[in-house]
This record gives sequence, structure tokens and C-alpha cells, in this order.
Amino acid sequence: MRSRSSRETLDTRILVCGDDLLSVSLDDIRACQELADRLRDSGDWLESVAGIDSVMVQFDSATIDIDLATKRLDEELRQAPDAPDTEPELAEVPICYGGEFGPDLGDICEQLDLTRDEFVALHVGREYRVDMLGFTPGFAYVGGLDDALNVPRRKQPRVRVEAGSVGIADGRSGIYALAGPGGWPLIGRTPLKLFDASEADPFRLHAGMRIRFQPVDRDEFDTIVETIAQS
Amino acid sequence: MTLTVIKPGLQTTIQAGPRVGMRHLGVPASGAADALSLALGNRLVGNNLLAPAMEATMAGVSVRFDSDTSFALTGAQASADLNGRELAFHTTLAARAGDELHVGLARTGARVYIAVAGGFVVDEILGSASTYLPAALGGHEGRALREGDRIAVGQSSGMPTEHETPAEFRPPVSRTWALRACRASEFALLDDNGKDRLFDTNYTIGQRADRMGMQLEGASFNVSSQGRMASAPVFPGTIQCPEDGRLFILSADAQTTGGYPRVAQVARADRHMLGQLRPGDHVRLLWRDTRSATDELRAKHDYWREWLPDIAQVV
Repeated sequence: MRSRSSRETLDTRILVCGDDLLSVSLDDIRACQELADRLRDSGDWLESVAGIDSVMVQFDSATIDIDLATKRLDEELRQAPDAPDTEPELAEVPICYGGEFGPDLGDICEQLDLTRDEFVALHVGREYRVDMLGFTPGFAYVGGLDDALNVPRRKQPRVRVEAGSVGIADGRSGIYALAGPGGWPLIGRTPLKLFDASEADPFRLHAGMRIRFQPVDRDEFDTIVETIAQS
Repeated sequence: MTLTVIKPGLQTTIQAGPRVGMRHLGVPASGAADALSLALGNRLVGNNLLAPAMEATMAGVSVRFDSDTSFALTGAQASADLNGRELAFHTTLAARAGDELHVGLARTGARVYIAVAGGFVVDEILGSASTYLPAALGGHEGRALREGDRIAVGQSSGMPTEHETPAEFRPPVSRTWALRACRASEFALLDDNGKDRLFDTNYTIGQRADRMGMQLEGASFNVSSQGRMASAPVFPGTIQCPEDGRLFILSADAQTTGGYPRVAQVARADRHMLGQLRPGDHVRLLWRDTRSATDELRAKHDYWREWLPDIAQVV
């Protein structure tokens, strides 16, 4: 006789991580985002968070037994992923490179043996994806950086990094939605307002979004800031 | 109606309930590090259990009431006085306009809560009035309180009939703590020796201890991952094992993702205690399987419901 105990038939990718936390291991970051979004939309979970290769959900263990939560997660995992009905939104992110906005750009170029223009050309030359938001509210990890632009984080994090700052480290670009401490070497700043507490959806960037960077000079940067302030 | 900060102490912030459902946007829970003490204070002044209160860390705080107000003190053990007259904790207290409240150094525990009738009035950002210092969000201008800050106090919605927390509902504050915890995602990466010692070690809270988390000293662990792992979600109560092998417990301000193996998770029932741990405190982790942890959480709710009917929103 084949055993029909639920234990044996549950998806082996599900891991119990605490009395109110379950995790699912997946091999692909896009699959993580799709699953995390789908679980969040189901309304069954207090939190649904994607990592690079896993998704974690939190449930209300005062009212939901872990067996039921695990079974729900298992069922939702078995459903075919939502076919993306449209390409993810493309966000054009202007960046003013170097100068006071990108105090580490000179050092990075020296480290990578590139001129400033070569660096900017490589950085704006492709389309990226937001891998996840994390670290601080709205901080966007943007994946897909050219291998030639791989630098480590700063040994000494800065006490304050301004909102809109853009850094690169460990194969990703990072965009600071809010001011705060930060350890990413800074290459420039975007004039876009990435966080607006008065909006229902306060963050401009989201996991899965496509990103293109555009170089702007200081005058263009100031013009965009003014335009946003007036609107 | 307002209250004025005379001496802000080491780190005094406005804290209320957590931010919920926004970790995927990088928004941490924040909120009172010891939510149970916040709730007990609010209970004594007739507020919603998670109404905004003052959370004073270690060194105490001094404030002046600008009008007649009821207030209550809960949390860490500390001396406190109103114009020099000694005050009791866990009691509804009355202040007249101009009275000065001084809360002294915490003797045991780390955080004292000052709840006022009507609660403090600050803007709600991302669903909560709580201060999240690293991103300057919420609370009073997103920052710790400073000398001269005037904080608005709301309209009291009516005082409770009981004015003292019954003895059986005063949480013990001690230098020695037992935290129930479950195994987490990367527990299996510990070597056999580490698996045995994780729940069988007398840890000491290290000097690095804040709302984000605390170092657990006294043992070093090896995990069999090659250095760091891919960033993965973490929560308040997650116990990480970084490369140096010293465990780190995440608290209310835990960031949303982390790159270190997660070896254990403090059970939901005991997470409120994290807010009272201070450097030098002794800690043991008590292993629970998830079912026992859930049974114990529900038993704890049943116990507390008599005094705090909405306990499940708090713990």
C-alpha cells in the first residue's frame, strides 16, 4: 500500500522555519518574485517576501495550525505560475554620474582601469531587472551588471547616503529610495523621487521591474528635480 | 495638549504597533521592541493597546507635562519620580500641568515605556506611527527625541476602572532569560557539534545590542556554507550565524533580507522579550518543535486575555 500521509506528499521545497514562518526554495529569482506576488495576492499570509533563491511567508499561528499553513502553501506552489500577461514595467532612471553625487566613481574607474565615459557607456548600455527591494525601505537591488563592473562594497559604510543615490557592488547596482547609512560605492544619483509616503504605493520601483539608466548632466538633473517638485 | 522633552536620554523614540505586510518592499516591522510592556502601559491609561508611547532606552528620560494628564510606566526596572516624589510602575498615575517626570537608569531590562492617556499624536507612515531610525521614518520627525521637543498628546477616550496591573500580569524582568526557539532554514548546515550546542549554551548578550539586533556571545558555530549565502528573508527573532560564527538575534528593526545562514527562530510567544535584553544578560535558547511552540503561544494568549483582551494583536 502506498502511504497517503500528507507529510510524504508535501513539496520537498517547503521548509519550516519557525512556528509562524515557512520557506520555499526555488532556483530562479523571477520564479521567487512570481510566487511571492501570487502568495501575497492570495490574502492567506501576513508577509510574503522573495529572496534571491527562496520565498518566505509568515502566517498567524494564533489561528492557523502549521499543518494547514503548510498544506495551503503546498497547494499554491502546485498551481501553475501566472503567465505574465504583459512585459514587466520598464522604468527609465536618469543618473547624474560622478561629482558630488558619485564620490566613488573616480576610485572605481581606477580600480577597473576604465575612463569615466567608458564606465558610463557600460553602465547605461543594457537593460536591467530589479531583483528585490530590501536592506532599507525601497532599496532596489538591480541585477544584470556587466562583469567588467564588478567591485566590492566599501570597507567603511557611510553614515549618510542621500535618497536617489546609485551605487554598484558585487555584480549589482543599488538604488537608495531613502536617505540613510550605506556601504555601496556611489557612482551617481537619480533625480527621481523614489519614495512618496503620501502615495498608496509609496515606492516607485518594485521587484521584477525592468530598468534602463540614462546619463544626465547636472543641469538636466536640477530640471527634473524642479519638474517633480512642481507636479 | 503636549509634553516637552527635558532630557532625551540615550535613545528615546515614539513606538506603537509594527508595520505589517510591507517586508517585500524592504520595510521592517519596527514598533515597540517590547510590545507587551507597551500594551500594559496603554491598558492603564485607557488607550488602544498599540497606541503610540515613548520608549526610553537604558539611560532613562525626563519630560514635562504641559497639561493635566494620566500616564503609566512599564517595562524595564528603573527608578522614576514626579517632581522628586517616587513613582511606582504598573500603576495609573496623575500629572498636573508643569510636573516633571524623571525616569532613571534601567537597573534590569533595557526599555521603559511611558504611555499617556490619549496616546502621542504623530503622523502614521506606511501604516504605523512607530519610529524606524535607520530610514528616519515615522514617530517624531523620524528621529530619536531631543531636548525641547514638544510631542502632541491625543484626546483621552475614557479611563479604565482598574488602575494597577495585577501582580500575575507583571512580566518578570531579569538578567537571565530563556527564549523558546525553533530550528530555522539553515539549521541543517550546522555541524553535529553545533546542532548539539545551539540549544545547550549559556549565552551572554554582547555590547552590540540595539533595536536591530543583538550579538550572542559564549559560543562559536561553524556552518557548512561557503561563506555567505544568497540574500534571503529574515524576521524579528531570526537567529543568524555570520562568518565569524557568533550568533546574532534580530529584533524589531530587523532588516527584511539577510545574507547569513538562519539557524533558529525565536518563537512568536517570546519575541516581545527581545526588547528587554541588554549587554551582559544571560540567555538560553529552549528548543521547541513548531507544534509545541504554537500550543504554548495559544496558552499564553489564553492566560493574558483576562487582562489584555486583544493580546493576540500584541504577542
